[in-house]
Amino acid sequence: MADTLTNHVSARGLRAPRFSLRQREAIEAWLFVSPTVVGFLLFFLGPLVAVVYFSLTEWNLLTQQSTFVGIDNYVDALSRNPDFWHVLRNSFVFALGLVPLNMSLALMLALALSRPFRGVVFFRTIFFAPVVTSAVAWAIVWKFLLQGEAGAVNQLLAVVGIDGPNWLREPDWAMVAVIVTRVIKMVGLNMILYIAALQAIPRDYEAAARLEGASNWQIFRMVIWPLLAPTTLVIFVITMIGSFKVFDHIYLMTGGGPENGTLVLAFYIYEQGFKFFNVGYASALAMIMFVIVLALTVVQMILRRRDMQ
Amino acid sequence: MTLTTRQTRLISRTCLTLALLVVAVPFVFPFLWMVSSGFKSATEIFGQPSLIPRVWRWQNYIEVFEYQPFARQYFNSLYIAVTVTVLTLVISSLAGYALARMRFAGAGLLMLFLLSALMVPEEVTIIPNFFLIRWMGLMDTHAPLILLPVFGSHGVMATFLMRQYFLAIPKELEEAGKMDGLSRFGIWWRVALPMSRPALAAVSIITFLFSWNLFLEPLVFISSLERFTLPLALSNFTDSYGLPLWHLQLAATSLAVVPILIVYLIAQRQIIESFALSGVKG
Amino acid sequence: MTSLRLQNLKKRFGSTEVIRGVDLAIEDGEFVVFVGPSGCGKSTLLRMISGLEDITEGELYIGDRLINDVQAAQRGVAMVFQSYALYPHLTVKQNMGFGLKVRKVPAEEAERRVMEAAASLKLEALLHRYPRELSGGQRQRVAIGRAIVGHPQVFLFDEPLSNLDAELRVHMRAEIAALHKKLGNTMVYVTHDQIEAMTLADKIVVLRDGVIEQVGTPRELYERPDNLFVAQFIGSPRMNVLLAASVERQLATRGLKIGSAHGIGMRPEHLSVVDAGAGILRGTVMISEYTGAATLLHIELESGETVLVIHNGQNTPRIDDAIGLAIDPENLHFFDGKGEAIRPLQRAA
Repeated sequence: MADTLTNHVSARGLRAPRFSLRQREAIEAWLFVSPTVVGFLLFFLGPLVAVVYFSLTEWNLLTQQSTFVGIDNYVDALSRNPDFWHVLRNSFVFALGLVPLNMSLALMLALALSRPFRGVVFFRTIFFAPVVTSAVAWAIVWKFLLQGEAGAVNQLLAVVGIDGPNWLREPDWAMVAVIVTRVIKMVGLNMILYIAALQAIPRDYEAAARLEGASNWQIFRMVIWPLLAPTTLVIFVITMIGSFKVFDHIYLMTGGGPENGTLVLAFYIYEQGFKFFNVGYASALAMIMFVIVLALTVVQMILRRRDMQ
Repeated sequence: MTLTTRQTRLISRTCLTLALLVVAVPFVFPFLWMVSSGFKSATEIFGQPSLIPRVWRWQNYIEVFEYQPFARQYFNSLYIAVTVTVLTLVISSLAGYALARMRFAGAGLLMLFLLSALMVPEEVTIIPNFFLIRWMGLMDTHAPLILLPVFGSHGVMATFLMRQYFLAIPKELEEAGKMDGLSRFGIWWRVALPMSRPALAAVSIITFLFSWNLFLEPLVFISSLERFTLPLALSNFTDSYGLPLWHLQLAATSLAVVPILIVYLIAQRQIIESFALSGVKG
Repeated sequence: MTSLRLQNLKKRFGSTEVIRGVDLAIEDGEFVVFVGPSGCGKSTLLRMISGLEDITEGELYIGDRLINDVQAAQRGVAMVFQSYALYPHLTVKQNMGFGLKVRKVPAEEAERRVMEAAASLKLEALLHRYPRELSGGQRQRVAIGRAIVGHPQVFLFDEPLSNLDAELRVHMRAEIAALHKKLGNTMVYVTHDQIEAMTLADKIVVLRDGVIEQVGTPRELYERPDNLFVAQFIGSPRMNVLLAASVERQLATRGLKIGSAHGIGMRPEHLSVVDAGAGILRGTVMISEYTGAATLLHIELESGETVLVIHNGQNTPRIDDAIGLAIDPENLHFFDGKGEAIRPLQRAA
């Protein structure tokens, strides 16, 4: 075996290696993660630090200069500017309207579609279709459908004798409209997560409960719902955070109106930052949004930990 | 007369199906109405409602391309989405692999940092990113539409998805690769990646759609018509008073939505599973 | 020269030390088997030789070359994994040729080597199948073939037969022995199965808790174990060990002194049944297990201890029979209070 490969590598290997195997692995690993780390520092961590700084300054559009103003922007938001509380209220109304509607519909659809029957794929495909559709397209079409008297929705309602409101022109109805259309757009995602969770529950539990004479409702209430709790928690937080982020949907359907009736936090940040160039104020708003999202995440982690114990 | 089990089951099945059909109406109707209205004239659109246009106005589909450089905008979205997808696949699978399989100082801290990025909406960092992009001289280019998704929370999500998948690959297979003379990079490329096709497919699907549907970033960074992406272009079909030109807007929206829907109908199982996979992580 | 030298090798995972100073010399062309109970560190030691696990302390030489920090692929070793680790996305042929391709061996040369290995392992008909389409034995052969084609200096086997059924295991054991005879390479083999160790090894290394208990030929380990652990680990069923005090009197009548011995070992196959009163031990048959070739007798001695005897002859005693047990004094093993073998005493006998 004069031609063994190993003979010539061994000749090469006689030279003492520069790094130990452990060191080499660490160097390689950092090379592997380097694009992610650089991007993360540049486009996420850096900006996150910057937004804290920005929120403590005031930006002069003309001179392109910023001056340090301390917590002025926060004081502005929390006490001086009446818009802020209105916007925050809108954001919470939106979230508190959307989350329960979304989750209960998702759960009901999942319960109906987690067992095989004819048409299950058909219905799943339909309910999930809006998820893959662009939010912009979805908002445009619904805005079209929800126009005053000429809109298709009101025309349909007229057929059954209901005189529909001018959905997007009345503040309260506009909020209802954006919530409901957003739920239709996104419910498929939660439905799929619930279906996956339901299918992971061993059928024996249900069979055992049924043998003990439990009704369908009792089985759901006492067996299935408790077993779904971890999934429900995750879905709750994802959906809640998602509802605070909602921007394109509202931008296109109502533009925040009417009478700022659908002006929510994400939209307000955009408006203050990029329309009025109140960079400092918008950054303070961004920080407030960050804190809300962070609080939700922490709550989730605490609940999840308690769940495990 | 009492019903047999079979009869009650048949009845409950039928009721369920009917209920689902009713619920399905607001999910399906917008698509149908969108396509049909895209073929109507500006006047018919507000006339007597009918799902089938009285006159099929194919002209709309020509005007869409005349009103603004819609073909160019369409292409922009396509190439940006493909670029974002390819870059995300490479970068997230490299980092995901290192986090799953390699031992290095700082790995735990890095994981923690990345996890925190998962939760933060892009609205929080969009203002500093605006100044950063302007400082880099990349305003009104497609660079931010590529960089921000690749390195933002979506890229992090992809990284964790890949990491989770790599963790499930038997370690001995990679060790065999090592014994066969593969470098770390070689193991990643020739052993780990070929075995992770389902995860790569999932990341591709959700990343492509994420980029395709992106709205806030184009809105903030892009100002020239010919650099618009589709979502921006769709929102731009207005007359001189700023009122929507519905017939053109809906025709254009159909052009943007229908191809995606067709792909979705063909590959619905794969696409739905991809979202389920990413959602569980989130 | 493909001898291996392990000098005071140590391996720590965090604060737990799993290999606690191993010294070992492996000669060129030797078939060495690491054996020991699970968790003894035998696999870790093999992986340290392969380069898959780094060395915390100590030195490892292949030939004259220190290879502590040489990458796995450049050590000139090939490994056969317990799970075979065949790439599921490659065919048998691609699996076998993969390492050659990575090392940029010219295509014709690689093809030749793969075909050669395939022929010698009778894999020609399977070359275009995927691993999932193969039986366990076939996968095992592909894994060996993959190791062969690289012409390594040293073959490493990590419990390669543990995923096979009993019959196939015997068959593959013979194939590996034949392979060693044909190639003449140095081979290091890890197993927890002492029959595998005995049948394959030129030299057995018995490990426990990260240290070597004994190194020797199968015969040496069987006939002259260094300590109680090795004595009971090698041989099946395991060696009976009685308190020296309980047989002191009977041994003395045959002119055998126990000296400082604390325990006395007798292998079940060395004890023979004699009439009650004859032999060196007396007892009652409690259980009798007929296995076809022999009968396993569980004997309760007068001291209350139980011994196992393999009875091959006719006249199998029945349960509750009182019997005597005889043994050739050559086959007695003496151990001190710490379990170390006492050799001079045995020789004096």
